[in-house]
Amino acid sequence: MSALQLTAVGGEGFQVTPTLVDFNLRLVFTGSGDMHATAVINEYLKLVHEEALRIGLAQVSCDFKQLTFMNSSCFKSFVVWIDTVKNSEIRYQIAFLTNPNLPWQRRSLEALRRLAANLVTIETIA
Amino acid sequence: MTDEDVPALVSLTLSFRPLANQIGPLRTLLSDLCKPHVADADGLSRLLLAAHELLENIVKYSVGEVAEFHLRLEAKASGLQVRLRTKNRAAPERMADARWRLDALAAANDPIAHYDELIRESAGRRDVSGLGLARIPAESEMELFYDTEQDWLILTAEGNASERGGR
Repeated sequence: MSALQLTAVGGEGFQVTPTLVDFNLRLVFTGSGDMHATAVINEYLKLVHEEALRIGLAQVSCDFKQLTFMNSSCFKSFVVWIDTVKNSEIRYQIAFLTNPNLPWQRRSLEALRRLAANLVTIETIA
Repeated sequence: MTDEDVPALVSLTLSFRPLANQIGPLRTLLSDLCKPHVADADGLSRLLLAAHELLENIVKYSVGEVAEFHLRLEAKASGLQVRLRTKNRAAPERMADARWRLDALAAANDPIAHYDELIRESAGRRDVSGLGLARIPAESEMELFYDTEQDWLILTAEGNASERGGR
């Protein structure tokens, strides 16, 4: 399997850190997904999709345990990404790992699951 | 007794020139002010989500120097009543777009189904989000109203939460 070509991105207030285990890519999001993070997330999810196709990923897990908030513009980036995967000839699963102490996560992510119920799962992590 | 005569647990009015880097600190302030009164994390989370989207809306779309933000948290027999209000001047094209979106939202029977429809429609568009205002009733369970005064757009979100300690 090829080495991961994605690197961590972000700065003060928001970061995404990738790790690859077998054919599962885990993206750890930390901080606040606000107006300053929108362009970063938007570009990064395009790279994630390219990398997923290049490596042949089975799943991408988005770990939101330390993501305190996500605005509608960042949310929209996930909508576009999921729609891209949905319409791709080669698909992979997308899992969102949520923090039960941040109730907005489940409310927001349920809308993404409804967009592509066969691709998207939501799990709660301790 | 008018609405304004009822003592508020929290009443905050800001008149300011909105900037993106003010939203995070304002969210923290709103959280600190409301947290002692709101019984559960979900209620506070819903309030802050609506406040965040309204604040971003005025940061993105205000024209002119000044915008207004108002929060009122009031104890009622049925629980807490939350009211958020923003007022900003908007360019004609933005005003027309906002009115179109808000009228569609008001006409929708089910805010979650409407939001899902907007999400599906927006999936193929890479430009603007267009989801922020519809997110408020869908995820915050707050009602969203608008009014206009010449080129001023006034948005009001109202909802309920459980009061800490109850009544």
